Amino acid sequence: MNNTSKRAYSLYVLAAAFAAGIVILIAQMAVNGGEWAANRANKHIYSRGQIAAAGVIVDSKGVVLAETAKGKRVYNKDKTVRMATLHTVGDTAGSISTGIHAAYRKELSGYSLWNGIYRLKEYGRGSDIHLTIDAKACAAAYKALGNYMGTVGVYNYTTGRILCVASKPAYDINNKPDDILTNTEKYEGVYLNRLLSGVYTPGSVFKTVTALCAIDNIPDINTRSFTCAGKATIGGGKVVCNGVHGKVNFEKALNKSCNIAFGQLAVELGKEKLMVTAESLGFNQSMKIDDIRTAGGIFDLAAANDLDLAWAGIGQYSTLVNPLQILTMMGTIANGGRRVSPYMVEKIVSPSGIVTNRGSINAKSLIEINTESAERLKALLRSDVVNSYGDSRFRNLQMCGKTGTAELKDGQTPHAWFAGFSLRADMPLAVVVVVENGGSGNKVAIPVANKVMQALVP
Amino acid sequence: MAIPFPTNKGKRPGETMRVKTKKTRPFKWKLAMLPVTAFQMLSFSSVVFETGQPDIRLMYIFAGYIAMEWLYLIISRLVTKRTSFELEIIAFFLTGISLVIAGGINEELAYKQLAAAAAGLLVFILTILILRDPEFAMSLRIPAAFACVGILAANLLMAKTVNGALNWIELGPFSVQPSEFVKAAFVFIGAVTLDKLQSTQSLTKYVVFSVCCVGALFLMRDFGTALIFFFTFIVIAFMRSGDIRTIILVCAGALLGAMLIVYFRPYVATRFATYRHVWDFIDDSGFQQTRVLIYSASGGLFGLGLGKGKLREVFAASTDLVFGMLCEEWGLLLGVFILLAFLLLAVFAVKTARVSGSAFYAIACVAAAAMMLFQTALNVFGVTDLLPLTGVTLPFISRGGSSMICSWALLAFMKCGRFAGGEAKNRAY
Repeated sequence: MNNTSKRAYSLYVLAAAFAAGIVILIAQMAVNGGEWAANRANKHIYSRGQIAAAGVIVDSKGVVLAETAKGKRVYNKDKTVRMATLHTVGDTAGSISTGIHAAYRKELSGYSLWNGIYRLKEYGRGSDIHLTIDAKACAAAYKALGNYMGTVGVYNYTTGRILCVASKPAYDINNKPDDILTNTEKYEGVYLNRLLSGVYTPGSVFKTVTALCAIDNIPDINTRSFTCAGKATIGGGKVVCNGVHGKVNFEKALNKSCNIAFGQLAVELGKEKLMVTAESLGFNQSMKIDDIRTAGGIFDLAAANDLDLAWAGIGQYSTLVNPLQILTMMGTIANGGRRVSPYMVEKIVSPSGIVTNRGSINAKSLIEINTESAERLKALLRSDVVNSYGDSRFRNLQMCGKTGTAELKDGQTPHAWFAGFSLRADMPLAVVVVVENGGSGNKVAIPVANKVMQALVP
Repeated sequence: MAIPFPTNKGKRPGETMRVKTKKTRPFKWKLAMLPVTAFQMLSFSSVVFETGQPDIRLMYIFAGYIAMEWLYLIISRLVTKRTSFELEIIAFFLTGISLVIAGGINEELAYKQLAAAAAGLLVFILTILILRDPEFAMSLRIPAAFACVGILAANLLMAKTVNGALNWIELGPFSVQPSEFVKAAFVFIGAVTLDKLQSTQSLTKYVVFSVCCVGALFLMRDFGTALIFFFTFIVIAFMRSGDIRTIILVCAGALLGAMLIVYFRPYVATRFATYRHVWDFIDDSGFQQTRVLIYSASGGLFGLGLGKGKLREVFAASTDLVFGMLCEEWGLLLGVFILLAFLLLAVFAVKTARVSGSAFYAIACVAAAAMMLFQTALNVFGVTDLLPLTGVTLPFISRGGSSMICSWALLAFMKCGRFAGGEAKNRAY
């Protein structure tokens, strides 16, 4: 055998590289196949940029929110339900990026490495997605918002299941308006799910945070006394209150939402302590709900002087919050300080019948705030409703909560907020309502919250 | 060449040396061909009965192909008394797939593809007959070299641009890719020339010839084929001289040249910019690769079914992108199986080269195997974005006569690797 023949071994080097290439090819397909198959350019699934074939999306009661019939995507028959669930379900062109149609397109295609999208092609079914939301409650929330823009969210604070998501403005997916991009007055941010992606000035809802900080750091807070004369000078500037409250204790100050008391408290507590409490309640952090990222909001006191601090303590200054985060804050307090992550996708059922329980896996329980403080705050929030807002406005709900009237720039009508929760053992639900430019939280947001909660009474 | 011969050295008188002979089991070609034929009948019938009503003409075309396969094997067996048909059977399997794909598009293409397969088989037989007589083969090297350069020059002058490459010439109803024919000739010339003399003159002539070819291909903007030629040149040079240093020098020179080309030719630079970023260019320079990935993934392991794919609607689906079409409609398992078939082809070829008694046959065999495997890698890994995309076809499977004929010509070189000892008029090189 001569040298030439021995050098034939060099081909084995090429062969080995080729074999390695085959392995890499298989590996890439296994890892990325689902993402590739779900790409918008896949004509098996998308026709002219719209999902034509995909699995069914149902609510917690099995009400069909979206399905494929005769090669077209078909939605719920009721117009209000369609509009109320628009942002949750999403559109098929992907304009609503936080909708299930966009965020879960891989699952909706029913892709598996074994079958590819064979089942979708053959039987017209992908994986079905079962949501935790109650379409009826969403419709009630949507109607309750009336002509205002805003958002409503309700979730079960012991399990994390989100029961209601509504965001206005919305549109009827069966009848998309022509002026949707041009009519900014009517359709500003229409593709945004305001519960997940909106950020607003919190206003007095933030007093909950300041209160918690005080409970944690001021041992004698219950015996303290504040004097409110309608306005006060704090840190060289003026803080104006929403009334003249005279001498109040801590509980009364929260019931009356006294700006002077809480402004002074904020300054007394100081930046660091306030930031620590806020961050333990989820401020400045975005969450992941079923692979969908929420907005993070801003709570930054680095450049704040005492006057800024006072305003920050009552939910003004530069603070911006995401409604879902406020919702989970309330849920954490209601759940004895243990935060349960909210989720919307209950389970996914593959075309071959395999059930993947999504929600419960992701619903992590994290101890966020200390239980005793949570219980004390809970009692205070209950007294808000009993002493100030009126228990009869939340009939049979054993409601706790805090309103907010968030002042805005340039003389705009403030945002109306309500955030709270029910103490009923058979209805452990937290609720958040933001009515954009609605004015008084007490007057405008509370009725909305009540309507939604009543729709969810078991 | 010294043939190892058993001697009595070191043995006590009276003791005989036992000569160890390796018993080669005859390749059970009938056993191997049966599953191939069964697979072909299955795939052929799914095309014939695709519309419910059997397409009679297609049936004849497919039957004709199966008949051709078996005729060749039976006649070959009788004439040469050999059974080592491993290479042909793999090639028949792959060629059959190209026929199914063509048939799945329309009848006319199936007809053309059958003609291409027949032509390929003919070229295969002819090439082997030529190569069996090394003196005669040797005498062809100058004409072959001129033909190569001539064809490439004619191509440069006459060809029309088809999607960025000046690589097609229309001869009546047929469009041919001359560079395909030049590929086989290149292997032949390389093996023959370097085999003749180790003088610098001969080597220089070969280098000049190779540079001309590669240069012409660059001018034609067929960078994929240029790359294949270059790679084959390296293999041939290595097989002959075994000098790693020369190889490294050549590679360094080539790398420099490549960098200059990338700098000056925006078309090439685009290919590299798109590489590993195909999703950012999903609707322009990454169009083909992303569609291949999307539709291959859609197929899963077992495919969506013959004719049910969407990749077939994309341009070049049955030529450059055929691997994606296979994965989408027949499944990833079959795609991987086909890749393994190519691997097996190369490995079988090299195994035979080891026992070859002649340097000429060994070089030709290894070079052809390397060229085919390299081209397969460029095609398959290019369309799946594991390598930059170069517009080369998949041997045997891509639809087209020129590609088919070239593949069978290369197969002939691979088969000739086993010409050893007394089988061919062999000279000690």
